[in-house]
Amino acid sequence: MPNLQPYADPQYFLILLVALVPLMVGLYHGHRLRLWETVVSLAFIVLMFTGHKWGEGLALLAYVAWQFLLVLGYARYRRAHNGTATFVAAVCASIAPLAVVKVTPAVAGHPSLLGFLGISYLTFKSVQVLMELRDGALKQVSAVDFGRFLLFLPTLSSGPIDRYRRFVADIAGAPAQADYVAMLGRAVHYLFLGFLYKFILGYAFGTLMLPKVAQAALVHAGPLGLSWGLVGYMYVYSMYLFFDFAGYSLFAVAISLVMGVDTPMNFKRPFAAGNIKEFWNRWHMTLSFWFRDFVFMRTTFFIMKHKLIRNRVRVSQVAYLINFLVMGFWHGVTWYYIVYGLFHAVAIIINDYWLRFKKKHRQQLPHNRWTQALAIFITFNVVCFSFLIFSGFLDKLWFCPPHR
Amino acid sequence: MKQRLWQIFGPVLCAVLLVAGLLLAPLPLGRLSHGALRSAAVSMSPNVLAGERAKQQALALDYVPFFGSSELSRLDPFHPSALAAKYHRNYRPFLVGAAGTQSLTHFLSDQSMLTQLAHKKAVFIVSMQWFTKRGQNPQAFTFFYSPLQTITWLLQARNTVADRYAARRLLTMPACRDQQIKSALLTVAGGQPLSHLSRQLLTARLQMLRNEDGLFSRFAVTPNERRLARAEKLLPATATPAQLEALATAVGRANTRTNTLGIDDQFYRARLAGGRLAKLKGSQRHYDYRFGPEYSDFQLLLTQFARHDIDVQFVIPPINAKWAAYTGLSMPKYRQAVTKLRTQLRTQGFTRVLDLSEDGDQPYFMQDTIHIGWRGWLRMDRTVAPFLAGPRQPVHYRLDDRYFTKSWRQATVGG
Repeated sequence: MPNLQPYADPQYFLILLVALVPLMVGLYHGHRLRLWETVVSLAFIVLMFTGHKWGEGLALLAYVAWQFLLVLGYARYRRAHNGTATFVAAVCASIAPLAVVKVTPAVAGHPSLLGFLGISYLTFKSVQVLMELRDGALKQVSAVDFGRFLLFLPTLSSGPIDRYRRFVADIAGAPAQADYVAMLGRAVHYLFLGFLYKFILGYAFGTLMLPKVAQAALVHAGPLGLSWGLVGYMYVYSMYLFFDFAGYSLFAVAISLVMGVDTPMNFKRPFAAGNIKEFWNRWHMTLSFWFRDFVFMRTTFFIMKHKLIRNRVRVSQVAYLINFLVMGFWHGVTWYYIVYGLFHAVAIIINDYWLRFKKKHRQQLPHNRWTQALAIFITFNVVCFSFLIFSGFLDKLWFCPPHR
Repeated sequence: MKQRLWQIFGPVLCAVLLVAGLLLAPLPLGRLSHGALRSAAVSMSPNVLAGERAKQQALALDYVPFFGSSELSRLDPFHPSALAAKYHRNYRPFLVGAAGTQSLTHFLSDQSMLTQLAHKKAVFIVSMQWFTKRGQNPQAFTFFYSPLQTITWLLQARNTVADRYAARRLLTMPACRDQQIKSALLTVAGGQPLSHLSRQLLTARLQMLRNEDGLFSRFAVTPNERRLARAEKLLPATATPAQLEALATAVGRANTRTNTLGIDDQFYRARLAGGRLAKLKGSQRHYDYRFGPEYSDFQLLLTQFARHDIDVQFVIPPINAKWAAYTGLSMPKYRQAVTKLRTQLRTQGFTRVLDLSEDGDQPYFMQDTIHIGWRGWLRMDRTVAPFLAGPRQPVHYRLDDRYFTKSWRQATVGG
């Protein structure tokens, strides 16, 4: 049985796009061939988990069954009741498998049996539905639509994280012909931009350059592991991270468009951001918006509702800390992911102080294209430094240096 | 609307056709320049070893493959490439091998040159250090792995003990994970012929890989070439063997001043100085080269040489005796390993074997711990140069499949 990892090589695109041709023809003529879409999606999901990955496949099946039970059960419960304890229990139960998968390697030293490629992204979708049911923004959830949402093939493994109501509106029918053709145009553009990003630039930075700067940083490590090699590693890794993930995200959006679904974009020129807050509005946007809506905002409301902190500035600072700590833990239970989260929280808090200071002293402070360039330069370097923490390279450099 | 679709997909179609054309068409790639071949012959880089274009074109000229491993990179003035260039020999060595190449990597990288090499001569330096319990190092195999060579071999594999063994061995290497190649290897390992479709697909893939090799393998002047040029300058325009011996002794002495083990100063400084040597005392006490898969992997090479009627001069280099004593290597076990290898060669009619394994105590024979240099290269040259200068003699090889068996891999030979 062959195994096909999403977007791993050019053949994957060829096979997937050929399989999607009937769906495309249908959409062009205003029909959505639901059965064909389902068959192709399921076939490609099965092919992701063949061979030695069969264990992950079983974990996925169990996971999906669990989430169905929770979401449909809670939706039914929510029709007549609105108990906070039930809601909290449902969310905790929904997150539980992901939590186990994230904590197991740190505690037991081996990956969890519950893990599979894409578990994080499915959890984001599932929790989002639970939250919207609680808020009443969502009145009912159909089992079929929830299944299509959760297991939407193009974004299954690593996002972008779509929203249920937006997604369901898209798949309810077919776009108008002119709209669909415009979508195809965008799909082709994103696909080829993605090839440039992931297979050329990501390869150049990640496969050709990264091992060299890593070697230089390890060999010439000075006090605290500092070296020019380490500085090189910081920038090369940052470029690699961006082009690899942005390339992947472009693929996911492009294939979504081919399937007549306008999945939201994940990146908007992140390195052109003038401050760290703006950076998070441009970098891994669907994730940061998810955290904004479901962690930051909720934390803020909770604190204000219960009057835990009176000072509004303090409230948002605490909410930032919690928001980015959760994000850090989500990346993985290692010191460098958690420090990465804290680093961004601190950066954004400092940024807030600065913005307030700037507002007060608007007359005295210059504002022109040079100060803007400086802002972009500083933000870029702060972000690159945070990615150096994120990369885990410091862990290797400081705590387990290779034998020389 | 149709026009809009053409505007979107037309360029994609053109791109697909152009790429497919570039990869699948049998491109007339032309000949490499003599300069490029000279570089390739001493580069020992993976793109040369795994590719085919440079090797094929060089062998069509007066190049002779010198198979080996890390010793090939000891580019002193007495290195075969330096001697051949300086004294205008009738051959030029094409160095095939680098640190980490063992029988299995050689078996694969041979594939695309066997046709050129048929009925000709070759030199093969076989290191006893290859013959560890584990045999071929999988990481080194990955580094030199070539799908092009693997497919070349697969397309002519037959249902023989050798080919089935080779397929099984390749399947244990992590580099051969590619679906298409893996399933073909499974077929060959099972003694089945490849299906028509599978052959067609492999042939198309081979063409793609050939075009990649031709389009993207560049042979720039390497540091090796510059080092050899410097080394050649140290040689006199004409010299008797005795004069060369004296020069090798002098150069060897001048380069081994910092230590008593007779190890090249640069090597010593880079690898052993600063307390590192002391840690290695007795470190090879448990080394044992007598058993393991390498013996059968080596048999694959012998099978290739016999099938293509290639006259091969084998060389078994020694280990620096002082180094062996310091690290506690067991000489009786080492001798048994050499005897086992020589038995495998002799019984099958491979009679050209220059066994230097007892010469590790000669001064300036070794350049460092296990690598031949200076006087060692000259000793090798005394056998290799006449062999390559003389006319090709008929060979009489008698292959024996028992060398592919576990009982041979585990056998002890000699006292």
